[in-house]
Amino acid sequence: MSTPTPVIQIENLAYAYGKAEAVHDLSFAVQPGRCYGLFGRNGAGKTTTMKCLLNLLRPQRGQARVFGLDPANEEVAVKRRLAYVPDQLAFYPWMSVRETLDYLASFRERWNKQTEAELLERFRLEPAKLTSSLSKGQRTQLALIAAICPETDMLVLDEPTSGLDPIVRREFIETVIGAYQEGNLGNRTILVSTHLIAEFEGLIDEFTIIDQGRNVMTLEADKARERFQKIRARFAGAAPEMELPGALRVRREGRELELVANGAGAALVERLKQHGPEELSTEALTLEEIFVAALKS
Amino acid sequence: MLFQVNFKSGKPVYLQLVDQIQAAAASGALAPGEALPSIRPLAEELRVNRNTVAKAYTELESQGVIETLPGKGCFLKENHSPLRKEIRRKLLIEEIDQAIVKAHHLQVPGPEFLKLVEHRMEALEDKRRANEIEKEE
Repeated sequence: MSTPTPVIQIENLAYAYGKAEAVHDLSFAVQPGRCYGLFGRNGAGKTTTMKCLLNLLRPQRGQARVFGLDPANEEVAVKRRLAYVPDQLAFYPWMSVRETLDYLASFRERWNKQTEAELLERFRLEPAKLTSSLSKGQRTQLALIAAICPETDMLVLDEPTSGLDPIVRREFIETVIGAYQEGNLGNRTILVSTHLIAEFEGLIDEFTIIDQGRNVMTLEADKARERFQKIRARFAGAAPEMELPGALRVRREGRELELVANGAGAALVERLKQHGPEELSTEALTLEEIFVAALKS
Repeated sequence: MLFQVNFKSGKPVYLQLVDQIQAAAASGALAPGEALPSIRPLAEELRVNRNTVAKAYTELESQGVIETLPGKGCFLKENHSPLRKEIRRKLLIEEIDQAIVKAHHLQVPGPEFLKLVEHRMEALEDKRRANEIEKEE
Protein backbone atom coordinates (compact mmCIF):
# COMPACT_ATOMS: atom_id res chain seq x y z
CA MET A 1 0.00 0.00 0.00
CA SER A 2 1.30 3.44 -0.88
CA THR A 3 1.32 6.11 1.79
CA PRO A 4 -1.48 8.61 1.26
CA THR A 5 -0.58 12.17 0.29
CA PRO A 6 -0.24 14.23 3.47
CA VAL A 7 -3.07 16.72 3.90
CA ILE A 8 -0.48 19.28 4.93
CA GLN A 9 3.17 19.27 4.03
CA ILE A 10 5.41 22.08 5.12
CA GLU A 11 9.05 22.02 4.10
CA ASN A 12 11.71 24.46 5.23
CA LEU A 13 9.13 27.22 5.45
CA ALA A 14 10.39 30.72 6.22
CA TYR A 15 8.54 33.99 6.57
CA ALA A 16 9.67 37.35 7.93
CA TYR A 17 7.70 40.53 8.55
CA GLY A 18 10.32 43.03 7.46
CA LYS A 19 13.37 42.00 9.43
CA ALA A 20 11.45 40.14 12.11
CA GLU A 21 11.59 36.47 11.23
CA ALA A 22 8.35 34.78 12.31
CA VAL A 23 8.92 31.33 10.85
CA HIS A 24 12.36 29.88 10.28
CA ASP A 25 13.03 26.65 8.37
CA LEU A 26 9.90 24.93 9.64
CA SER A 27 8.95 21.44 8.44
CA PHE A 28 6.16 19.06 9.39
CA ALA A 29 3.48 16.92 7.74
CA VAL A 30 -0.08 16.02 8.69
CA GLN A 31 -1.59 12.71 7.54
CA PRO A 32 -5.28 12.44 6.62
CA GLY A 33 -7.71 11.81 9.46
CA ARG A 34 -5.41 13.08 12.16
CA CYS A 35 -6.03 15.73 14.74
CA TYR A 36 -2.79 17.68 14.67
CA GLY A 37 -1.74 20.23 17.27
CA LEU A 38 0.53 23.16 16.56
CA PHE A 39 1.70 24.27 19.98
CA GLY A 40 3.63 27.41 20.71
CA ARG A 41 3.73 30.48 22.92
CA ASN A 42 2.24 33.74 21.77
CA GLY A 43 4.28 34.95 18.83
CA ALA A 44 5.92 31.58 18.16
CA GLY A 45 4.86 31.62 14.50
CA LYS A 46 1.67 29.54 14.61
CA THR A 47 -0.61 32.03 12.88
CA THR A 48 2.01 32.89 10.25
CA THR A 49 2.34 29.19 9.44
CA MET A 50 -1.40 28.82 9.09
CA LYS A 51 -1.63 31.89 6.90
CA CYS A 52 0.94 30.39 4.53
CA LEU A 53 -1.27 27.30 4.23
CA LEU A 54 -4.27 29.44 3.36
CA ASN A 55 -2.47 31.70 0.88
CA LEU A 56 -3.02 34.68 3.15
CA LEU A 57 0.77 34.98 3.13
CA ARG A 58 3.26 33.74 0.53
CA PRO A 59 6.17 31.70 1.88
CA GLN A 60 9.45 33.55 1.30
CA ARG A 61 11.43 30.32 1.35
CA GLY A 62 10.49 26.67 1.39
CA GLN A 63 7.01 25.49 0.55
CA ALA A 64 3.59 24.72 1.93
CA ARG A 65 1.35 22.11 0.29
CA VAL A 66 -2.27 21.46 1.17
CA PHE A 67 -3.92 18.30 -0.23
CA GLY A 68 -0.75 18.05 -2.32
CA LEU A 69 -1.51 21.40 -3.96
CA ASP A 70 0.20 24.77 -3.86
CA PRO A 71 -2.25 27.11 -2.12
CA ALA A 72 -0.89 30.09 -4.11
CA ASN A 73 -1.56 28.52 -7.52
CA GLU A 74 -4.68 26.54 -6.69
CA GLU A 75 -6.30 28.62 -4.03
CA VAL A 76 -9.90 27.70 -4.89
CA ALA A 77 -9.18 23.96 -5.10
CA VAL A 78 -7.55 24.14 -1.68
CA LYS A 79 -10.09 26.38 0.02
CA ARG A 80 -13.16 24.47 -1.12
CA ARG A 81 -11.85 21.51 0.86
CA LEU A 82 -11.15 23.26 4.12
CA ALA A 83 -12.79 25.47 6.70
CA TYR A 84 -10.92 27.97 8.82
CA VAL A 85 -11.70 29.55 12.17
CA PRO A 86 -9.25 32.46 12.47
CA ASP A 87 -8.03 33.91 15.74
CA GLN A 88 -9.56 37.28 14.89
CA LEU A 89 -13.20 36.81 13.97
CA ALA A 90 -14.89 39.30 11.68
CA PHE A 91 -18.57 39.30 10.70
CA TYR A 92 -20.61 41.95 8.97
CA PRO A 93 -22.10 43.79 11.93
CA TRP A 94 -25.38 44.58 10.16
CA MET A 95 -26.12 40.92 9.46
CA SER A 96 -28.06 38.66 11.78
CA VAL A 97 -26.87 35.18 12.74
CA ARG A 98 -29.27 33.76 10.13
CA GLU A 99 -28.10 36.11 7.39
CA THR A 100 -24.46 35.46 8.22
CA LEU A 101 -24.88 31.71 7.91
CA ASP A 102 -26.84 32.04 4.64
CA TYR A 103 -24.19 34.37 3.28
CA LEU A 104 -21.34 32.02 4.19
CA ALA A 105 -23.28 28.99 2.92
CA SER A 106 -23.61 30.66 -0.49
CA PHE A 107 -19.85 30.20 -1.02
CA ARG A 108 -20.02 26.48 -0.30
CA GLU A 109 -20.90 23.46 -2.42
CA ARG A 110 -22.29 21.62 0.60
CA TRP A 111 -24.03 22.90 3.69
CA ASN A 112 -25.58 20.55 6.21
CA LYS A 113 -28.79 22.28 7.30
CA GLN A 114 -29.54 19.67 9.92
CA THR A 115 -26.15 20.11 11.60
CA GLU A 116 -26.68 23.86 11.46
CA ALA A 117 -30.04 23.59 13.24
CA GLU A 118 -28.61 21.21 15.87
CA LEU A 119 -25.69 23.48 16.62
CA LEU A 120 -27.79 26.66 16.79
CA GLU A 121 -29.94 24.83 19.31
CA ARG A 122 -26.98 23.49 21.24
CA PHE A 123 -25.35 26.91 21.53
CA ARG A 124 -28.72 28.62 22.13
CA LEU A 125 -27.89 31.15 19.41
CA GLU A 126 -30.84 33.27 18.28
CA PRO A 127 -30.97 33.43 14.47
CA ALA A 128 -32.48 36.92 14.49
CA LYS A 129 -29.73 38.43 16.63
CA LEU A 130 -27.29 40.83 14.94
CA THR A 131 -23.67 39.66 14.92
CA SER A 132 -22.65 43.03 16.41
CA SER A 133 -24.56 42.19 19.59
CA LEU A 134 -23.00 38.74 20.09
CA SER A 135 -20.60 38.04 22.95
CA LYS A 136 -17.09 36.79 22.20
CA GLY A 137 -18.14 33.25 23.02
CA GLN A 138 -21.17 33.46 20.74
CA ARG A 139 -19.08 34.85 17.88
CA THR A 140 -16.73 31.88 18.20
CA GLN A 141 -19.71 29.54 18.24
CA LEU A 142 -21.08 31.15 15.08
CA ALA A 143 -17.68 30.78 13.38
CA LEU A 144 -17.57 27.14 14.42
CA ILE A 145 -21.04 26.43 12.97
CA ALA A 146 -19.94 28.08 9.72
CA ALA A 147 -16.81 25.91 9.69
CA ILE A 148 -18.56 22.60 10.41
CA CYS A 149 -21.64 22.82 8.16
CA PRO A 150 -19.74 22.72 4.81
CA GLU A 151 -18.37 19.27 5.85
CA THR A 152 -14.92 19.90 4.43
CA ASP A 153 -11.99 17.49 4.51
CA MET A 154 -10.03 19.70 6.87
CA LEU A 155 -10.78 22.04 9.72
CA VAL A 156 -8.16 24.65 10.58
CA LEU A 157 -8.53 26.24 14.02
CA ASP A 158 -6.26 29.11 15.05
CA GLU A 159 -6.27 29.67 18.82
CA PRO A 160 -9.97 28.83 18.86
CA THR A 161 -10.58 28.84 22.59
CA SER A 162 -8.42 31.65 23.92
CA GLY A 163 -10.41 34.29 25.75
CA LEU A 164 -13.47 32.07 26.19
CA ASP A 165 -15.01 30.96 29.46
CA PRO A 166 -14.54 27.31 30.52
CA ILE A 167 -18.10 26.23 29.66
CA VAL A 168 -17.90 27.64 26.13
CA ARG A 169 -14.46 26.07 25.71
CA ARG A 170 -15.78 22.66 26.70
CA GLU A 171 -18.75 22.94 24.37
CA PHE A 172 -16.45 24.04 21.57
CA ILE A 173 -14.24 20.98 21.88
CA GLU A 174 -17.18 18.61 22.28
CA THR A 175 -18.66 20.05 19.10
CA VAL A 176 -15.44 19.58 17.17
CA ILE A 177 -15.29 15.97 18.35
CA GLY A 178 -18.96 15.22 17.87
CA ALA A 179 -20.19 17.22 14.93
CA TYR A 180 -17.10 17.67 12.81
CA GLN A 181 -15.90 14.08 12.77
CA GLU A 182 -19.47 12.84 12.16
CA GLY A 183 -20.05 10.62 9.17
CA ASN A 184 -16.60 10.44 7.75
CA LEU A 185 -14.61 9.07 10.65
CA GLY A 186 -10.94 8.69 9.87
CA ASN A 187 -10.99 11.07 6.94
CA ARG A 188 -11.52 14.44 8.52
CA THR A 189 -8.33 16.18 9.41
CA ILE A 190 -8.04 18.84 12.08
CA LEU A 191 -5.17 21.30 12.46
CA VAL A 192 -5.41 23.27 15.66
CA SER A 193 -2.97 25.85 16.94
CA THR A 194 -3.13 26.68 20.60
CA HIS A 195 -1.25 27.53 23.72
CA LEU A 196 -4.17 26.24 25.84
CA ILE A 197 -3.01 22.67 25.45
CA ALA A 198 -4.69 20.93 28.37
CA GLU A 199 -8.18 21.14 26.95
CA PHE A 200 -7.16 19.59 23.63
CA GLU A 201 -5.16 16.82 25.32
CA GLY A 202 -7.54 13.98 24.43
CA LEU A 203 -8.19 15.19 20.92
CA ILE A 204 -4.61 15.50 19.71
CA ASP A 205 -3.07 12.52 17.87
CA GLU A 206 0.19 14.20 16.99
CA PHE A 207 1.73 17.59 17.54
CA THR A 208 4.56 19.94 16.71
CA ILE A 209 5.92 22.39 19.25
CA ILE A 210 7.27 25.53 17.64
CA ASP A 211 9.28 28.24 19.28
CA GLN A 212 10.64 31.36 17.63
CA GLY A 213 9.50 29.96 14.30
CA ARG A 214 11.48 26.72 14.67
CA ASN A 215 10.29 23.14 15.09
CA VAL A 216 11.31 22.12 18.62
CA MET A 217 9.66 18.72 18.60
CA THR A 218 7.22 16.59 16.60
CA LEU A 219 5.71 13.57 18.35
CA GLU A 220 2.62 11.41 18.58
CA ALA A 221 0.68 12.24 21.74
CA ASP A 222 0.69 8.69 23.15
CA LYS A 223 4.42 8.30 22.45
CA ALA A 224 5.12 11.68 24.05
CA ARG A 225 3.32 10.69 27.26
CA GLU A 226 5.29 7.44 27.27
CA ARG A 227 8.62 9.19 26.80
CA PHE A 228 8.27 12.10 29.19
CA GLN A 229 8.06 11.00 32.80
CA LYS A 230 8.13 12.63 36.15
CA ILE A 231 10.03 10.48 38.65
CA ARG A 232 9.76 11.05 42.38
CA ALA A 233 11.97 9.42 44.98
CA ARG A 234 12.12 9.77 48.76
CA PHE A 235 15.10 8.55 50.73
CA ALA A 236 15.64 7.67 54.39
CA GLY A 237 18.30 10.35 54.70
CA ALA A 238 19.09 13.41 52.63
CA ALA A 239 18.63 12.81 48.92
CA PRO A 240 22.00 11.58 47.60
CA GLU A 241 24.09 13.74 45.32
CA MET A 242 24.29 11.74 42.12
CA GLU A 243 24.77 12.01 38.40
CA LEU A 244 21.43 11.99 36.63
CA PRO A 245 22.18 11.78 32.91
CA GLY A 246 19.20 12.52 30.72
CA ALA A 247 17.19 14.30 33.40
CA LEU A 248 15.69 17.50 32.02
CA ARG A 249 14.95 19.06 35.35
CA VAL A 250 15.86 18.09 38.89
CA ARG A 251 14.20 19.37 42.05
CA ARG A 252 15.73 18.50 45.38
CA GLU A 253 14.13 19.17 48.74
CA GLY A 254 15.51 17.49 51.86
CA ARG A 255 14.89 13.77 51.47
CA GLU A 256 12.99 14.11 48.22
CA LEU A 257 14.07 14.21 44.62
CA GLU A 258 11.87 14.93 41.64
CA LEU A 259 13.05 14.79 38.08
CA VAL A 260 11.68 15.01 34.58
CA ALA A 261 13.00 12.52 32.04
CA ASN A 262 12.75 12.45 28.28
CA GLY A 263 13.08 8.84 27.15
CA ALA A 264 15.70 8.02 29.77
CA GLY A 265 13.11 7.20 32.45
CA ALA A 266 13.89 3.51 32.91
CA ALA A 267 17.65 4.09 33.24
CA LEU A 268 17.09 6.91 35.74
CA VAL A 269 14.74 4.76 37.82
CA GLU A 270 17.44 2.04 37.95
CA ARG A 271 20.01 4.59 39.02
CA LEU A 272 17.76 5.89 41.79
CA LYS A 273 17.04 2.33 42.97
CA GLN A 274 20.75 1.77 43.62
CA HIS A 275 20.46 4.34 46.40
CA GLY A 276 17.61 2.41 48.06
CA PRO A 277 14.77 4.92 48.10
CA GLU A 278 11.90 4.49 50.54
CA GLU A 279 9.42 5.55 47.90
CA LEU A 280 9.76 5.66 44.16
CA SER A 281 7.03 6.57 41.72
CA THR A 282 6.70 7.66 38.12
CA GLU A 283 3.94 9.34 36.18
CA ALA A 284 3.55 10.55 32.63
CA LEU A 285 3.69 14.23 31.81
CA THR A 286 0.62 15.78 30.25
CA LEU A 287 1.05 17.45 26.86
CA GLU A 288 1.03 20.83 28.57
CA GLU A 289 3.81 19.76 30.94
CA ILE A 290 5.75 18.35 27.99
CA PHE A 291 5.33 21.69 26.23
CA VAL A 292 6.74 23.54 29.23
CA ALA A 293 9.59 21.03 29.65
CA ALA A 294 10.48 21.24 25.95
CA LEU A 295 10.68 25.02 25.98
CA LYS A 296 12.56 25.31 29.26
CA SER A 297 15.31 22.82 28.48
CA MET B 1 -20.65 2.23 32.65
CA LEU B 2 -18.57 5.28 33.45
CA PHE B 3 -15.12 5.56 31.96
CA GLN B 4 -12.09 7.43 33.26
CA VAL B 5 -9.18 8.67 31.24
CA ASN B 6 -5.94 9.49 32.98
CA PHE B 7 -3.34 11.17 30.80
CA LYS B 8 -0.75 10.85 33.56
CA SER B 9 -0.74 7.06 33.50
CA GLY B 10 1.52 7.03 30.44
CA LYS B 11 -0.69 4.32 28.93
CA PRO B 12 -2.18 5.06 25.50
CA VAL B 13 -5.74 6.32 25.92
CA TYR B 14 -7.29 3.63 23.74
CA LEU B 15 -5.64 0.93 25.88
CA GLN B 16 -7.07 2.53 29.02
CA LEU B 17 -10.54 2.11 27.52
CA VAL B 18 -9.77 -1.47 26.49
CA ASP B 19 -8.60 -2.31 30.02
CA GLN B 20 -11.64 -0.72 31.65
CA ILE B 21 -14.08 -2.62 29.46
CA GLN B 22 -12.21 -5.88 30.04
CA ALA B 23 -12.25 -5.25 33.78
CA ALA B 24 -15.97 -4.39 33.73
CA ALA B 25 -16.68 -7.55 31.76
CA ALA B 26 -14.64 -9.68 34.17
CA SER B 27 -16.20 -8.21 37.30
CA GLY B 28 -19.75 -8.33 35.99
CA ALA B 29 -20.12 -4.54 35.96
CA LEU B 30 -20.90 -5.05 32.29
CA ALA B 31 -23.26 -7.96 31.61
CA PRO B 32 -23.11 -10.18 28.52
CA GLY B 33 -25.32 -8.71 25.80
CA GLU B 34 -25.21 -5.26 27.40
CA ALA B 35 -24.67 -2.31 25.06
CA LEU B 36 -21.54 -0.21 25.18
CA PRO B 37 -21.90 3.55 24.76
CA SER B 38 -21.71 4.56 21.12
CA ILE B 39 -18.57 6.21 19.89
CA ARG B 40 -19.74 9.79 19.46
CA PRO B 41 -21.27 10.45 22.91
CA LEU B 42 -18.44 8.62 24.67
CA ALA B 43 -15.79 10.60 22.78
CA GLU B 44 -17.61 13.86 23.52
CA GLU B 45 -18.00 13.03 27.18
CA LEU B 46 -14.35 12.07 27.66
CA ARG B 47 -13.29 14.79 25.24
CA VAL B 48 -11.05 12.40 23.36
CA ASN B 49 -10.69 11.85 19.65
CA ARG B 50 -13.34 9.61 18.14
CA ASN B 51 -10.63 7.60 16.45
CA THR B 52 -9.35 6.71 19.92
CA VAL B 53 -12.69 5.21 20.98
CA ALA B 54 -13.06 3.48 17.61
CA LYS B 55 -9.57 1.99 18.01
CA ALA B 56 -10.45 0.66 21.49
CA TYR B 57 -13.64 -0.98 20.18
CA THR B 58 -11.81 -2.48 17.20
CA GLU B 59 -9.22 -3.95 19.56
CA LEU B 60 -11.92 -5.43 21.84
CA GLU B 61 -13.71 -6.86 18.85
CA SER B 62 -10.57 -8.59 17.60
CA GLN B 63 -10.11 -10.03 21.10
CA GLY B 64 -13.65 -11.38 20.95
CA VAL B 65 -14.82 -9.37 23.97
CA ILE B 66 -17.41 -7.31 22.15
CA GLU B 67 -19.32 -7.58 18.90
CA THR B 68 -20.66 -4.93 16.57
CA LEU B 69 -24.21 -5.34 15.29
CA PRO B 70 -24.56 -3.19 12.19
CA GLY B 71 -26.91 -0.28 12.81
CA LYS B 72 -27.30 -1.17 16.48
CA GLY B 73 -23.92 -0.57 18.07
CA CYS B 74 -21.42 -2.51 20.16
CA PHE B 75 -22.36 -5.14 22.71
CA LEU B 76 -20.53 -7.30 25.20
CA LYS B 77 -20.39 -10.80 23.73
CA GLU B 78 -22.61 -13.44 25.32
CA ASN B 79 -19.86 -16.01 25.65
CA HIS B 80 -16.69 -14.19 26.46
CA SER B 81 -15.95 -16.65 29.29
CA PRO B 82 -12.68 -18.12 27.94
CA LEU B 83 -11.19 -14.66 28.24
CA ARG B 84 -12.72 -13.99 31.58
CA LYS B 85 -10.42 -16.06 33.74
CA GLU B 86 -7.40 -14.72 31.92
CA ILE B 87 -8.51 -11.13 32.49
CA ARG B 88 -9.28 -11.75 36.15
CA ARG B 89 -5.77 -13.07 36.56
CA LYS B 90 -4.35 -10.13 34.65
CA LEU B 91 -6.14 -7.65 36.92
CA LEU B 92 -4.91 -9.46 40.00
CA ILE B 93 -1.38 -9.64 38.68
CA GLU B 94 -1.34 -5.86 38.27
CA GLU B 95 -2.29 -5.43 41.93
CA ILE B 96 0.23 -8.03 43.08
CA ASP B 97 2.98 -6.37 41.06
CA GLN B 98 2.25 -3.07 42.74
CA ALA B 99 2.41 -4.70 46.18
CA ILE B 100 5.73 -6.36 45.28
CA VAL B 101 7.22 -3.04 44.16
CA LYS B 102 5.96 -1.41 47.33
CA ALA B 103 7.50 -4.19 49.43
CA HIS B 104 10.78 -3.65 47.64
CA HIS B 105 10.72 0.07 48.41
CA LEU B 106 9.86 -0.61 52.04
CA GLN B 107 12.74 -3.10 52.11
CA VAL B 108 10.59 -6.12 52.99
CA PRO B 109 12.41 -9.18 51.60
CA GLY B 110 10.61 -11.69 49.35
CA PRO B 111 10.15 -14.57 51.82
CA GLU B 112 8.82 -12.19 54.46
CA PHE B 113 6.42 -10.71 51.91
CA LEU B 114 5.07 -14.17 51.01
CA LYS B 115 4.62 -15.04 54.69
CA LEU B 116 2.75 -11.78 55.13
CA VAL B 117 0.42 -12.66 52.25
CA GLU B 118 -0.39 -16.01 53.85
CA HIS B 119 -0.89 -14.33 57.17
CA ARG B 120 -3.31 -11.81 55.67
CA MET B 121 -5.27 -14.53 53.90
CA GLU B 122 -5.70 -16.34 57.21
CA ALA B 123 -6.65 -13.13 58.99
CA LEU B 124 -9.31 -12.30 56.39
CA GLU B 125 -10.59 -15.88 56.48
CA ASP B 126 -10.92 -15.68 60.29
CA LYS B 127 -12.80 -12.42 59.93
CA ARG B 128 -15.16 -13.95 57.38
CA ARG B 129 -15.87 -16.91 59.68
CA ALA B 130 -16.48 -14.61 62.63
CA ASN B 131 -18.99 -12.66 60.55
CA GLU B 132 -20.82 -15.83 59.59
CA ILE B 133 -21.07 -17.02 63.17
CA GLU B 134 -22.37 -13.63 64.19
CA LYS B 135 -25.04 -13.84 61.49
CA GLU B 136 -26.10 -17.32 62.62
CA GLU B 137 -26.50 -16.16 66.19
